[in-house]
Amino acid sequence: MKKVLSILLAAMLLLGIVPALAETDTITVMVPPVTGTYLTDIETWANEFTAIHPEIKVEIIKTSWDEHNGKLTTLANAGEAPDIAEVSYSTIGTLVNLGVGIEIDKYMDAERLADYDQNALDYMSLEGHVYGLPLYITIQSIGANKDMLTAAGADVAKIQSEGWTYKEFLEVIKNGTTDNCFGFVFANSGVTAADFISIFGASAGITNDFTADLKYAYTSENMLNLLKAVEEMTSSGYMPKYAVEAGQRMVMCETGNAMIFGKAMPLFELNINKNNAALAANDGKAVENSIHVNYAFLPIPTMEGVKETCFGSVDGLVALRNKNTTDEHLKNVCLFLDYLCSGDRAAMVDSTLLLDPVCKSGREVYAKYAVTGLDEGNAACAAREIGLVVAPPSGVSAEQSTNARQLRDEVIVPKFQALLAGEATAQQVYDAICQEAVKLFGADGCANGLI
Amino acid sequence: MTTSKGVSLAARKRFRLTSDDLWGYAFIGVSMLVFCIFTLYPVISAVETSFLKYRPFGSQYIKWQNYAETFKNALFYKATKNTLVYTAVVVPLSLLLAFSIAIMILPFPRKVQSVFKSIYYLPGIASGVALSVVWLWIYDSSPQGLFNQVLSFLHLPTQNWLSSSKTSMLSLMFMALMSGQGSNIIIYIAALLGIDNSYFEAAELDGATFMQKVRYIVFPLVKPTTLFLLVTGVIGSFQVFMNAFMMTGGGPDNSTTMIGLLIYKNAFEYSKYGLACAQAILLAIVIAIISLLQFKLMGVDVEY
Amino acid sequence: MASTGLYSQHRNNRGLLHLRNTLIALVLVIFAALALFPIFYMITSSFGPAVSTAGNMRTIFPKRWTLDSYVAFFDFSPYSLRWIGNSFITSVSTVLGNVIFASMAGYAFAKIPFKGSKFLFGLILVAMMIPYQVTQVPLYILVVNKFHMSNTYVALILPSIVTSYNVFLAKQFFASIPTPLIESAKLDGCSHPGIFVRIVLPLSKTVLAVMAINTFMSSWNTFFWPFLVTSKDRMYTIQVGLKTFKFANETLFAPMMAGATLSALPMFILFFALQKYFLEGVTIGAVKG
Repeated sequence: MKKVLSILLAAMLLLGIVPALAETDTITVMVPPVTGTYLTDIETWANEFTAIHPEIKVEIIKTSWDEHNGKLTTLANAGEAPDIAEVSYSTIGTLVNLGVGIEIDKYMDAERLADYDQNALDYMSLEGHVYGLPLYITIQSIGANKDMLTAAGADVAKIQSEGWTYKEFLEVIKNGTTDNCFGFVFANSGVTAADFISIFGASAGITNDFTADLKYAYTSENMLNLLKAVEEMTSSGYMPKYAVEAGQRMVMCETGNAMIFGKAMPLFELNINKNNAALAANDGKAVENSIHVNYAFLPIPTMEGVKETCFGSVDGLVALRNKNTTDEHLKNVCLFLDYLCSGDRAAMVDSTLLLDPVCKSGREVYAKYAVTGLDEGNAACAAREIGLVVAPPSGVSAEQSTNARQLRDEVIVPKFQALLAGEATAQQVYDAICQEAVKLFGADGCANGLI
Repeated sequence: MTTSKGVSLAARKRFRLTSDDLWGYAFIGVSMLVFCIFTLYPVISAVETSFLKYRPFGSQYIKWQNYAETFKNALFYKATKNTLVYTAVVVPLSLLLAFSIAIMILPFPRKVQSVFKSIYYLPGIASGVALSVVWLWIYDSSPQGLFNQVLSFLHLPTQNWLSSSKTSMLSLMFMALMSGQGSNIIIYIAALLGIDNSYFEAAELDGATFMQKVRYIVFPLVKPTTLFLLVTGVIGSFQVFMNAFMMTGGGPDNSTTMIGLLIYKNAFEYSKYGLACAQAILLAIVIAIISLLQFKLMGVDVEY
Repeated sequence: MASTGLYSQHRNNRGLLHLRNTLIALVLVIFAALALFPIFYMITSSFGPAVSTAGNMRTIFPKRWTLDSYVAFFDFSPYSLRWIGNSFITSVSTVLGNVIFASMAGYAFAKIPFKGSKFLFGLILVAMMIPYQVTQVPLYILVVNKFHMSNTYVALILPSIVTSYNVFLAKQFFASIPTPLIESAKLDGCSHPGIFVRIVLPLSKTVLAVMAINTFMSSWNTFFWPFLVTSKDRMYTIQVGLKTFKFANETLFAPMMAGATLSALPMFILFFALQKYFLEGVTIGAVKG
């Protein structure tokens, strides 16, 4: 078998199919459409960069959101990972575990690294090493129809500026529930159930997979409280008893079938305003049967005895190892990585997503790109929430991170789906999670009691 | 037949190849070359990987550890059970369905046959992703889902289709039965058209009824086709992963987690590529045993 | 009317014959309506306006018919048409390769008694049983890393130029061609290529047509492999292109369905082009006589 292959290979070499070794250093970047215009923007930025560094060439591999990770892991497994790839921070553990992560702090100026906010960098780090640079912190929470919320007796301005308790939240969704409108709708069908756990985890005091002393957090009593809250919301009828598709949540709010919906991000204000404009213009581009909605971005309610936090996730770019990786090459890779994540590039991406930049150089030029004419209450609330995001504890190992991910996919989410379907009780789900978690992390590695 | 057998026996004694041998190799040459490079090599590589803690740079040889881990994993057993149940229901039912439809299409004039064939083939030509989006609406758990609207119309309680572990597997099976028949029907029709009319004429002289003709002429004569569809159906069904991946993600409560999905997740989401290979090979062994049984039960080759 | 020997029962009673056929047709139509619904819905909703719709607003026919989604697809990328072309080149080559090489191999396995035939055939079957999820990585290393073929048609076509599935299909069908027919041709001095071209192929138009359409369909619909081996827009196949057409954060129903309809169209045309071959029965009796 090997012989046949080597003969074929030799033939191909002779035919000159293998490209001649170039003198320039080529950097490959693989990205999905982070914003609507990102894939064209990045080409412009690559040209700008190569104009400054003519010895470096950039090759861009464009992917789609759905398949980005599948292609990335296949390439990484083949030893052909792109030099730079877009990832969510939770994927870093897997890549590092695979041996393709690169500790970029070794190849970058400390001065440049200092440009990035420490809490965002913490997300891109494992066991004290930085593996990539952050593009933004997304805050994921809930959103609502502001007028309905007021009618249900909520003081929107106060909630946006001070937060609210779970009790208050429950009262509001009870008042907001009518025959054809749910007080609260959360997209939780299929894999999106994971979002609910992350976002309401913050509500119950679980900010990350691991506690500050690196114990697995979903075995704590906080998780039991969270599960019981879900039981309460679904059985009361303030929230649908059935699974809601991800694509339906905002539409339900736009058509007046839902007061509060999740998950929601500040960005949704643009979508809803666009629909309002289409309604006003009556050009047939509006969602069918939709009504004018004033969007309110809301903090997640907080349960008793829990310090208010907000669920956040960091997306950024990481440097990866492949067959061509040399120290010299890595210096160039980090140069371009830094270029993409800082200054105007960062400001442009973040402003499109209505998020604050996470680096100083980005903040300096942010005003140039900032979207204007938005609701001040929402903007203030978003800014406040970003401040409430708790970075993952430092020292989590790649192995722990991968195990936590597997536990989430194979135990927590499936059991949680059973809870939503009314086929398991909160206690049963909690017990099942504890049982499996102890197998993976050991009794010592799991949190007990309230955290 | 006898002559060539005699020659080949003599040749074997002298270790020389007969012309049949040479022609055989010539005919399979290109296929075997492609097969060796693009199928066999990756398969061998996967077998090798199943003994590794795989890393693109510096894998570790860990003997049978991946296999041991697989056997300790409760989810693997659950996924195996789900896959077996799915296969045991979907494969025989689809063959029965395809066979019945193929036989029902036959008595019509050619033009009508074409129309029916096209209609039944159509659902197979659209990409699975787009159709699964439509099916998601059909199975939507809200009262507005298509099936739930039908249920409400009949004054029956609405169902949580894909979101309840009671109905999720049934929903996936129904979807598979409704969307995957086109190709099977066409293959069955091809086989039915290949049956020589003289068999039926002879049977008629003996006064055979329709069912007798199906039982004693059609069944035996389409056996190679049935065997083909059965074996490839089982292989396909054991590896099924797209539907569960798109529709349920394996949930709720892992009620639709199939081995194919488990392997995919281990390979591409948890970077446990060695473990994924080990599970794939165990899966292949199960399929091989089942296929072997099928060959034995159905007879290796049916010749006229 | 091929093979109606099976249905000779009511040949002498026209009334009964019509009643029987009507009943069968009714069953077929009902089942067809059920099977067709998803694709029917896919096509009608592709003509709807490109706006989100709430679950309770979904209707079987769009409220307003427009071609917006189709226009949007062709405006989306300068390569939209090329993607269809790429898919066409890939699929047609794959079909040709399979029809030629798989039928040759199928003939050899079914009708030539050569040494090692059972073993090699078994090997092909066993290899089919390993799920593609795990063979994808070594295949990728081979094609991209060793052969340096990324972004080429060769990389898109070669790995599936002849598939185990089609070899198996061909073998099963050729096995039902009577061996005496082949033996007598041999005695007449016909060589294997002669028998293959003059006897086996003409008798197998139906199965070759089936193989062609099935291969075309699976090649046309393949997503993951072309997605892996192409990184340049101009080399995308339509399936890869369609994925990039999807917008983040919202799934717009109509444009997605328009893309799916567009990509299903060529297969529909091919299917009708090959229709007549599906209807040709094998006329072995005549040859035998």
